Amino acid sequence: MGIRDKDPIRMKTDVLIIGGGLAGTNAAMGAAEAGASVVVMDKGKIERSGDVGGGVDHFMAYLETGPDWDTRDAFLGYVEKVGRGTNHISNIESLVCDELPAAIERMARIGNPLTQPDGTYYRTASMGQPGPYWINFNGKLLKPRLAKAVRRLGCKVLSRVMTVDLLLDDGHVAGAVGFHVHTGRFFVIESKATVIATGNTNRIFENPRGNPFNTWLCPYNTGDGQVMALRAGAALANMEYMRLTMMPKGFAAPGFNALTGMGGRFMNSLGEYYMEKAHPLGNRAPRYACVLHSQEEIRAGRGPIFIDCRGLSDKDLDHLETTLGYDKDTLPDYLAQRGEDLRKHPVEIMVSEGMQGGPSECNGSGIKIDGNAAATVPGLFAAGDSADHNRCVHGAVTGGYRAGKSAARRAKALNRAPEEAIGITRERMERFMAPLHRGSGYPYQQIEDTIRKVMSEHVGMARTDLGLRTGLLKLARIEPHLDDIKVNDLHELMRARETRSILTVGKLMASAALFRTESRNKPYHYRLDYPETDDANWSGLVVVRQQGDGFDCALERVAYRSPQEA
Amino acid sequence: MPMTFDYEKCDGCGKCSALCPGDVIYMRGERGKKLPYNRYVDECWHCGSCRQDCPKAAIRVAFPPDMLCI
Repeated sequence: MGIRDKDPIRMKTDVLIIGGGLAGTNAAMGAAEAGASVVVMDKGKIERSGDVGGGVDHFMAYLETGPDWDTRDAFLGYVEKVGRGTNHISNIESLVCDELPAAIERMARIGNPLTQPDGTYYRTASMGQPGPYWINFNGKLLKPRLAKAVRRLGCKVLSRVMTVDLLLDDGHVAGAVGFHVHTGRFFVIESKATVIATGNTNRIFENPRGNPFNTWLCPYNTGDGQVMALRAGAALANMEYMRLTMMPKGFAAPGFNALTGMGGRFMNSLGEYYMEKAHPLGNRAPRYACVLHSQEEIRAGRGPIFIDCRGLSDKDLDHLETTLGYDKDTLPDYLAQRGEDLRKHPVEIMVSEGMQGGPSECNGSGIKIDGNAAATVPGLFAAGDSADHNRCVHGAVTGGYRAGKSAARRAKALNRAPEEAIGITRERMERFMAPLHRGSGYPYQQIEDTIRKVMSEHVGMARTDLGLRTGLLKLARIEPHLDDIKVNDLHELMRARETRSILTVGKLMASAALFRTESRNKPYHYRLDYPETDDANWSGLVVVRQQGDGFDCALERVAYRSPQEA
Repeated sequence: MPMTFDYEKCDGCGKCSALCPGDVIYMRGERGKKLPYNRYVDECWHCGSCRQDCPKAAIRVAFPPDMLCI
C-alpha cells in the first residue's frame, strides 16, 4: 500500500473543528468571523454531511412577537419542563437564547432564511410546547449554503478525513490526528483550540427494520468525538438516556414531527386515539411520552399503530405534501413507493431504534460543556449533538457558533506555543492500520451486531440492576475482539474505528444507567427496579469520567424549579 | 438498490461520489469514462443528497423490499 512510508501531512491552525455538520459549520463561521484561522475536518464533504446534509424543515425558536408563550422566559420554562432536571438553565440561556437573534439573522445572511417565500414564519406546536415554537422552513440547501459561507471565510476544509484521536500537550488539547479515508494519508493538525461537533451515537441498538444503517439520525455519527474527549480527560454527561422517536414503518425518516404539529393523531389497531387518553397534551405531548405510550400499545397487542392525518384541512395537507421532503428528501418517494396516502388512510408508524442522544429536544448528552461551550479539559470545546447542553437544529446553529467564538477567543489569548512535533508516533499509526494488515479476523459488522444485541437486551428500554451488570459484563467480553477485526479496505477501516467508538459509548451508557437508581424521562431511562422519578435525590446530571480502565460516575445537582409529571 | 444511476443521462462528473456522506458511491470504468455505482449498498442512508445535486438528474431512489414490505 505504501501508506506507511509517507510522512503525515502537518498543519497549524488557531481553531480546529472536528465534524462539519450543522454545528461544525456554524462553529467554523463563529471562529473565522472572530478572526481565527480555521481547519474543518470531516469524514464526508461538508456540503452534504451530518444529520441535515440532505435537508431539514424545522428550527425551534421563540420570536418575541407579543404573546406570553413567545418570550425567552416561557421558552426557558419549556426547556426546564421537558428537560426535567437534566440541564442547567443558565447554560441554555447563554448557548441558545443569547445567540438566537444572531442565528436567525445568519440563516438569512447565508441565503437560507427561516421565513416562507412571502416573508412570514410558518409555526407549529408539538412535543409539549406552550406555543408554536417549531418554525417550518425549506432547508434542503442549508448545508451547501453553509459550506459556501465557510469556504468564503477562508476556512481550510479537509474532506473524507476521519479524526483518529486528539493531540494532548501538557494536559491541554492541542489538535488532532486525522486519516484520509481514500488515500490512507495521516494528518497532524496542531491547534490552539479544538471544537468537537461529531453528533450523537447511532448503530448502537438493534434496528427494528433490520439494516443498522436505517437510522433516524445520521448512521455515520458513531460517538467518535465523545470517546476522544473522554480519553483526553473530559467529562461526559447525560449518557444514560437512550433516545427514541416515532417514525414511518420501514423507513427511519424524520419529518413526522410535522404531522403531529399539524394535527395528526396517534391511532392503534382498534381505531382508538391512544395519546388523547394517555396524556393531557394528547398528540402534542413531549416526544418521550409519545414513545412510551406507543410502546405500551404495541406491548398490549394493540398494534400496528398509525398516524391519522385524515382530519387535517386541505390547506394543511397541501403544506405537508410540500414540506415533508424538506426534512428527508426521499420520504415522499418512500410513501409513494409503499402506496401510502396521508389524505386517504392512516399511515403505519413504529418506534425507532435506540440511540445515544439525550433526554429532550432542548438538551442532549455527550461532552459536558459550560455556557461558553467549553469542555472540562483546556483547549477543548463541543457543540451540537456531541455535547450535553446542545441539541437539535436550533441548538447546533446557536451553540455551534458560540463554540467557534469561544475557541477563537481562547486561541487569541493563548500565549504558550505548542511544543514542536507533538503527538503521533509511527507505532500509533500502525496500530490504527492494523485491521488492514491482519491475516484473518472477523468483519466489523459481526462485532457491531454483537454489541447491538447486548445493548438492546440489557441496556435498552427496560433496565434493571442485574440486567445492566450483565450487559456490562458482555460488553467487556466483546472488547478484546475489537482487535480481531479484519478489514479489506480503507472504507472498512473507518467503519471498524466507528465500531470501537460504539462499544465505548455502550459501556458509558450502561455505567451511567446503572448509577442512576431512579427513572427519568421514561422510556429514555426506565429502571424497572426504580420505576419512579425521584427529584429529591436525582434531579441533576450523571457526570462520567474515565478512571483507569473504568468510569467514575457522579451526580451534579440541577436546581429544578417546577417538577411536573408528563 | 438504494440509489440507481441512469447511465444514459450520467456524464460521469463524479459529484454524487464526492459528496455522499456515507462514502457509499464510487466511480468505476476506464479513465475518462468512469461511472458511479453503489459500492456499499447496505450503508446508504437514503438522504437524497446525490439525487438533489446531480446536474443531469440521472439518479433515482428505489427502496428495497425489506423497507417497503414490512
